[in-house]
Amino acid sequence: MAEKPKVYALSTCPYCKRTKRFLDQHKIEYDCVDVDLLDDDKQDEVLEEIEKITGKRAFPVVLIGPEVIVGHDEERLRKALKL
Amino acid sequence: MTVHEVTRVYCPVCQAKFRYVEGWKEGDIVVCTVCGQRLRLAKEGGEWVGTRPEKGKDSEIRARVDEYARLKGYTFNDMKEELIEGLIGKNKLFGDFYCPCRMLHVPEFMCPCKPTRGGDVDRDGKCYCGLFWKKT
Repeated sequence: MAEKPKVYALSTCPYCKRTKRFLDQHKIEYDCVDVDLLDDDKQDEVLEEIEKITGKRAFPVVLIGPEVIVGHDEERLRKALKL
Repeated sequence: MTVHEVTRVYCPVCQAKFRYVEGWKEGDIVVCTVCGQRLRLAKEGGEWVGTRPEKGKDSEIRARVDEYARLKGYTFNDMKEELIEGLIGKNKLFGDFYCPCRMLHVPEFMCPCKPTRGGDVDRDGKCYCGLFWKKT
């Protein structure tokens, strides 16, 4: 895979945890940002980026190549990761 | 015409005033009929207010969500415990039981959040984070 998947999450969100657990279980390397734990300036920057990509501020957001998956969706994760 | 003024109690969680029931006295533990919070009754400046006897404890949010579901006739699914853990995490990180799936830590997103109290569950079948569900 060219680029590692990227996960935007909230540290308290159980759906985000499930997504991370799913990727861990399938030994997928990914970059993860817990947006709620960022400092204010960085948080604004990341939230703007998420809004630009997804049109909303919902979590988790998973970027896999051109695929954008909002919410915990194992079927879409499998498909995008060719599992 | 006689106007009968209804006596109300202020809830510090949902910031609403719910109806006082005749016979309630200071120190009684009552449940806010708007958000399900358990409150200790007190009188401040002639007004009834509720205080949070278990403020910040895990037992506070567990009782609140159960009471709210009971009041509204809602139910839970198998995500309940994980979502409660998320609420407890919010309290540890941000000082109160805000919705675990939202970015903002403002009073209107204290669980049960304002959109939920405004009818999201009845309209959409569930609340934003999926803690409360409409019975099918």
